[in-house]
Amino acid sequence: MGEKYSRRDLIRMLGASGVAAGLGGLAAPGHAPADELVQNGGFAGSIVQPEAVQSTMTCPTLVDGKVIQPRRELTVFHQTDVLVVGGGTAGVTAAVAARRSGAAVTLVERYGHLGGLWTGGLVLVVIGHIVKGGKQVCQGIGEEMLRRLDKVEGGIVHRQPGVNPTVDAEALKYVMVDMVEEAGVRTLLHCWGVDAIMDGNTIRGAVVESKSGRQAILAKVVVDTTGDGDLFAAAGAPYQRCKYSIGLVSRIGNLDKVDDAKANRTKIPKGLGAITPIPGVNWVNMTGPMADGLDVAELSRLEMNHRRFIWKNVQRIRSTPGYEHVFLMETAPQLGVRITRMLRGVKTLTMQGFKAGSRFPDVVAVGGAAGCNHDEWQIPYGALVPKNNVENVLAAGRCISAELKMADMVRVIPICWITGHAAGVAAAVAVEDRCHARDVDVSKVQRVLKQQEAYLG
Amino acid sequence: MQLNRKAASAAIRPDRRRRWRYRGRLATLSAVLVLLLPHWSFGWASLAVPSLSPYVAVAAAIAVRSITITALLALPVLCLSLLRPRWFCRFACPTGLLVEMAGRVRARPAACGTRLPAIGPWVVLLTVGGACLGYPLLLWLDPLAIFSGCVNALRQTSGRTVWISAAGLPALLLSGLLWPGAWCRRLCPLGATQDLLALAGRELRRRGRPRPPTLPSWRMLRRTALGVGLGAIGAGGFVRALSGARPPRLRPPGAVGEAAFTGLCVRCGNCGRVCPSRIIHPDLGHGVDLLLTPTIRYDDAYCLESCRRCTEVCPSGALLRLALAEKRHTVIGLPHVDMNVCLLGDDRECALCRTHCPYDAIRIVFSETNYSSLPQVDPGRCNGCGACQVMCPTSPIKAIVIQPCS
Repeated sequence: MGEKYSRRDLIRMLGASGVAAGLGGLAAPGHAPADELVQNGGFAGSIVQPEAVQSTMTCPTLVDGKVIQPRRELTVFHQTDVLVVGGGTAGVTAAVAARRSGAAVTLVERYGHLGGLWTGGLVLVVIGHIVKGGKQVCQGIGEEMLRRLDKVEGGIVHRQPGVNPTVDAEALKYVMVDMVEEAGVRTLLHCWGVDAIMDGNTIRGAVVESKSGRQAILAKVVVDTTGDGDLFAAAGAPYQRCKYSIGLVSRIGNLDKVDDAKANRTKIPKGLGAITPIPGVNWVNMTGPMADGLDVAELSRLEMNHRRFIWKNVQRIRSTPGYEHVFLMETAPQLGVRITRMLRGVKTLTMQGFKAGSRFPDVVAVGGAAGCNHDEWQIPYGALVPKNNVENVLAAGRCISAELKMADMVRVIPICWITGHAAGVAAAVAVEDRCHARDVDVSKVQRVLKQQEAYLG
Repeated sequence: MQLNRKAASAAIRPDRRRRWRYRGRLATLSAVLVLLLPHWSFGWASLAVPSLSPYVAVAAAIAVRSITITALLALPVLCLSLLRPRWFCRFACPTGLLVEMAGRVRARPAACGTRLPAIGPWVVLLTVGGACLGYPLLLWLDPLAIFSGCVNALRQTSGRTVWISAAGLPALLLSGLLWPGAWCRRLCPLGATQDLLALAGRELRRRGRPRPPTLPSWRMLRRTALGVGLGAIGAGGFVRALSGARPPRLRPPGAVGEAAFTGLCVRCGNCGRVCPSRIIHPDLGHGVDLLLTPTIRYDDAYCLESCRRCTEVCPSGALLRLALAEKRHTVIGLPHVDMNVCLLGDDRECALCRTHCPYDAIRIVFSETNYSSLPQVDPGRCNGCGACQVMCPTSPIKAIVIQPCS
């Protein structure tokens, strides 16, 4: 046939001619809309040349009532050393750490911003980096983010020793963009890591889905910072899956315009939330019901219910005398999914070990306690590595290997940044030493981590 | 000639006896000094001291209607006391030794102590009478318990409380200084117990021989009956008074019922000393009868799921000896959540109580109606160990607080 069609043309043609599977080439092309555009206006510079597509049928087809995805070749978007899937707290830290350790890094993020739940989920308070006595144990790149926020006006508040600080989401998004750019991380936003590319039991990259379609990114090591463990699950690593509270955080404004003359000081309305660095703006948390964060119907139902509740809640606050000017500033772009999948790793964090202060020779991170009322606890490298023989995928963030009882310890922001830091450095060391991520020289990882100002006890 | 020999042997015998007594007391003194050393790791020895007292063992056995393993330590002391009057006072009692030494500090010994009537036997009879009703009235007057209380309090350095809970022994020493002999000979219930045992021993050994005219049996019987009766009445009154008004307290696991507990507890401080979490504190200022009884305070540690040590060291059975599995199911109290304080009540992020509960007894429950979550305790699993209260981040008032079961 020789002629090349854009994918869109192909679909349109198929629509016109019914389900003529595999016969795309038979229908004669109609008028070319692109040409029309060129003729009709001065938009020549805006024209994007349609991509070359294979002549064979690539979209799923109905075969005997079943939807079948045909076998097809994916475009390799590019090749890199370390692919970090998920640009949340752990992902950004992992990408920056790996890049600073010398590896070429690509970071893939499904939303239009970096920071994940820390920014997009409006989890603005940083808890879990301080131990009994007020010492901050979660350091490294995460602490660097906080330091950069210190310099941004309205970037962070409550930044005193032994106190859990609260950040501003927008300032943090800005800081994170700065950090990945400075480090030289190739960052793809609006790009959802959907599948693992496997070579036997070794991961070789990830399939990403975006407006550019389904593409492949090849990498030597993949760091799964999706939070939900999408990548290690796709690669075949074992995990446990659970339901957990899912809420939706919001911010309300004009709290500095509360009329003290009218307001009853002894009866402050509930649900006012906690302060943020922006004067008059509070963030309002929501615990929400236990639900499956991997069930899209459930997520949709919750999102809608939560929105309805938040709206009504703000109306209730507004109906309180003195609080008439309070308004709903925003609801979080991301639903507050806390725990879904947790890796089953070479080592698993246990509550017993946490209480006993277990020490590991392969310690790569040290966590604190949410209430600042516990001693430091170690996270071994083994908690980031799958237990089975799936190679070169590392977990970081809330989905690392821990028993469910430890979930509340693990899923907090500082633990995400310290595990991200560790996974990023380990991935870079594995690339440098040309070994599987599992077999990486942990003492070298520890050394690099310390050079990057991580605290390992 | 014969008279001379007799005189000579009479002169030698007390001498030899005295020498033995000195050796014995020297051994006791060194043992006492060892026990008093502030951070001596040989701790179990001092834990056993209050268990040696037959006074405590007998009264406690009557009160709880069973014999504990720790009470068996008192058995040899009891048997020997049947044969040798007051041998324990002479050779072994550390309190007696210290009180006597205090008396010797004075140049001229005062004699007023000996003018006191013998109160000790009455103390014993009252206590035994009370024990029959489950409330051994004056069990805490045991000199070994007072000694242990002081030693244990000194080891548990924690400020002001130490000085109050260690005051028993210094008080006795002061009495020894002011009125030498008054405590040991007239007041001490352990001494009196030995006297009564020796009397019983003599009666047993006398068998068929005629009764000596000095102590008519009917008088003794009357006295015994009176003492026991009074003790029973007093204990009855006490128990009734206690069971009503006062709110219950948090007691170490395995504690017998609150009313009996205050009577049975000898305030030796053993439970508080062995507690690895140091949550057992002597009660101060909640009524005279509760003074120095062990209570639990969850300040910064909880009752460990892997520990049952306090239940193993109680000399009087106020704390029942529990297997670890039993202890884990023994309820100390139950947590109460104040949703006005709880972070979840304000929809702040927290689940520390659930996370740290060693028994998985706490769930965070979401209510669709008011769209908020709250911690819910499963009383079937919870034993009131206090882990939730310790970890609760609210300050200064904790949102989740263990309260005694009423």
